[in-house]
Amino acid sequence: MFDPAHLVLYVPALPLFGAVLAAICGMVTELRRFAHLPVLVCAGLSCVCAIGVAAHLANNPSPVSYPQLSSSADSIHWFSIQYEKSNMVVEFALAADQLAGVMLLGVTFIGFWIVLFSVGYMHGSYGYSRYFATVSLFLASMCLIILADNFLLMFAGWEGVGLCSYLLVGYWHHKNSAADAARKAFLVTRLGDVGLILGIFLLWWMAELGGFGYERIFGAAPALAERYPTMFAAACLLIVCGAVGKSAQFPLYVWLPDAMEGPTPVSALIHAATMVTAGVYLLARCTVLFVQVPGVQLTVAMIGAFTALLAAFIALTQHDLKRVLAYSTVSQIGYMFLAVGCARPSLAAIAVTAAIFHLFTHAFFKAVLFLSSGSVMHAMHDVIDMREFGGLRKVLPITHWAFLAGALALAGIPLFSGFWSKDMILESTLEAGHGGRFGTVYIILFVVALITALMTAFYTFRAYFRTFWGELRMPEGAHPHEPAVMTVPLIVLGIGAVTVGIVAEPFTHWFSGFITQSPVIVTASGGHTADEHLNWPLILGSSAVAIVGFAIAWYVYLKKPGTAEKFAQKAPTLYYLSLNKLYVDEIYNLLFVQPATLVAGICGLVEAVVDDLVRLVATIPRFLGVLIRPIQNGLVQFYALAMVLGVAGFVAWLVLMAK
Amino acid sequence: MIPVSHYLAVGAVLFTLGLIGFLSRRNLIVMFLSAELMLQGVAVNFVAFSRYHGNLHGQVFTLFVIAVAACEAGVALALFLMLYRRKRSLDVSLWQALRETDVPETVDTEPLPPVSPEEPLPKLPPAGVEPERDEERQYV
Repeated sequence: MFDPAHLVLYVPALPLFGAVLAAICGMVTELRRFAHLPVLVCAGLSCVCAIGVAAHLANNPSPVSYPQLSSSADSIHWFSIQYEKSNMVVEFALAADQLAGVMLLGVTFIGFWIVLFSVGYMHGSYGYSRYFATVSLFLASMCLIILADNFLLMFAGWEGVGLCSYLLVGYWHHKNSAADAARKAFLVTRLGDVGLILGIFLLWWMAELGGFGYERIFGAAPALAERYPTMFAAACLLIVCGAVGKSAQFPLYVWLPDAMEGPTPVSALIHAATMVTAGVYLLARCTVLFVQVPGVQLTVAMIGAFTALLAAFIALTQHDLKRVLAYSTVSQIGYMFLAVGCARPSLAAIAVTAAIFHLFTHAFFKAVLFLSSGSVMHAMHDVIDMREFGGLRKVLPITHWAFLAGALALAGIPLFSGFWSKDMILESTLEAGHGGRFGTVYIILFVVALITALMTAFYTFRAYFRTFWGELRMPEGAHPHEPAVMTVPLIVLGIGAVTVGIVAEPFTHWFSGFITQSPVIVTASGGHTADEHLNWPLILGSSAVAIVGFAIAWYVYLKKPGTAEKFAQKAPTLYYLSLNKLYVDEIYNLLFVQPATLVAGICGLVEAVVDDLVRLVATIPRFLGVLIRPIQNGLVQFYALAMVLGVAGFVAWLVLMAK
Repeated sequence: MIPVSHYLAVGAVLFTLGLIGFLSRRNLIVMFLSAELMLQGVAVNFVAFSRYHGNLHGQVFTLFVIAVAACEAGVALALFLMLYRRKRSLDVSLWQALRETDVPETVDTEPLPPVSPEEPLPKLPPAGVEPERDEERQYV
């Protein structure tokens, strides 16, 4: 009952159960306002189970799987595929290794606090039970992604989170912008998902249709890479494509800022802390594949670095607090991609650890940032434009401290959690720059990452100063208040954001010690271990960068307000490029949406022509019908007369014509 | 012996009268009676040929015809009763609901004379119960 294998099953099963209960609550009017209870309890229990699994993994490094495979008869049949006489059975199998354990901890822990926050935030909102049911379903799907032991089950969870994201972004579906954002999120991520499933099938095909299990495909990876070099690289690229879509990286990042139309706790949970990092998790999970193809790895790193820079540049000038955070999410996930992209056998341990560590700390500080912005929004009567308010530190003290904790971590100010994980990423990039085929490129990416760090510190504190410092300004109708159900999650996650980094890694090496035991990393690194040391010049350098960014923000927005406007006037091109998000949405509109509209128009025209042709044919019987319809006049005697005349005519014909 | 042609003539006359009645009358009951008349014309034919051929086939047929006609009478009269309750008239031209939707209704230029309001039927007291009496008036 409570052995680790069962706990692994409970982690996704409990939120699923909670979702069902919440949905049932939604059907009964009296129970509707209690819909959060089952979800809250199930999320909490799921978190406890995740802690249990992680504790077990800390003691026993070998992965825990469900069902426990003592014999093949124990496996759970999910569905089977008939393909040219071979019958391929896909199994329902879960497995938790250290990588999964870390992710589970993050997802369920943050998920629980965000559900608690939602109770206050969504209080009295329309569709209360729908919200909680979907959030719970999301948690279940996310845990399924993490725990799945084969590609197809992972893909099922992957689509599940996509669906929940769609439902929650479009939660206020009566608002057009929300409905559009939901559609955009769904379609853009679907573009990546097509790549992912193709990549999975390609791997399956190369592994001689032997099944989708991770173990089998990863075990065959070196042989496959040798046998089908091009095809293997293509499969890896397709998987990257899926990750890019889900994690909002460069060509496909446009959906994430729009996804902020959803309720703020959703932005915190799905579009900052967990779902968008699924791509990074997928890449980390597939490190064994990616270390075989350095070219693809370089692509991943370049996508990551470019996205980080691009999103940070856009975030510099946004006025919407949530959008600043959304772009910072895109940018931070760019960092994670950069780190994952640095993995090669000698570096796999440190690079993947860096990415997952950043993922972990980012989940905390970005969740707390979003939740505090949600608290601001709640207090400011749903206004989130930073031009409308300011100086809120007096009226929203707890939110202010929580935001500050998140901001310090995001900006990479020394000693706070984001600093350590970002530092690790920079270090792995720098290491990748030494030697290897693409050393020089990685050095350039390192410089890009440093510049991005500077911009990150600047825009984070720009948002912070504009929201919480200066004179007190509030939009009309605002009544600042912080209910306890919202402040407790803020405090907990805020403390997490401040401390999780320094406790887990730089001096204790708990995190890297734990995660490098993961079979994925052990196999990928092929015997190389991470040399654990603190690179002091790098630490000092990145601290300096973060502090300079902070200082600029302080000077521009607090010491001499108005400097920013002057600068914007001096460099209008840059300013408008950033303000209008580099016109990427407009370019996509021109390149993809307009041609599609054109094709749709042409199709409509063709359809009209074909339809008219069919209608023309249809008019002939209709015309005949109009001619003879009057004889159906409903008069009994008319019918009788017609019958008699008919008989008479027939008899006459018989008499006259018959010989 | 009367030749078979005489019987046939009688049958034909009955049938024709029924046909004319069916086509020319609008009262549902009269139309029904005309239809019965046609049936009887046919029945006469059957019987005549039965006798002419010297076997019983035609007579058996006639028995069936009469039986069917009896059933038909039961059903038809029940239907007429329902129709009458709906429209308070036996005029067949009032029932045109089965025409095509866009064909205009055939309007009667010479409608039947309106049915005189129903005479109230005498009400009898339920059997075995003493009728109410205005005793005051009776005994004063």
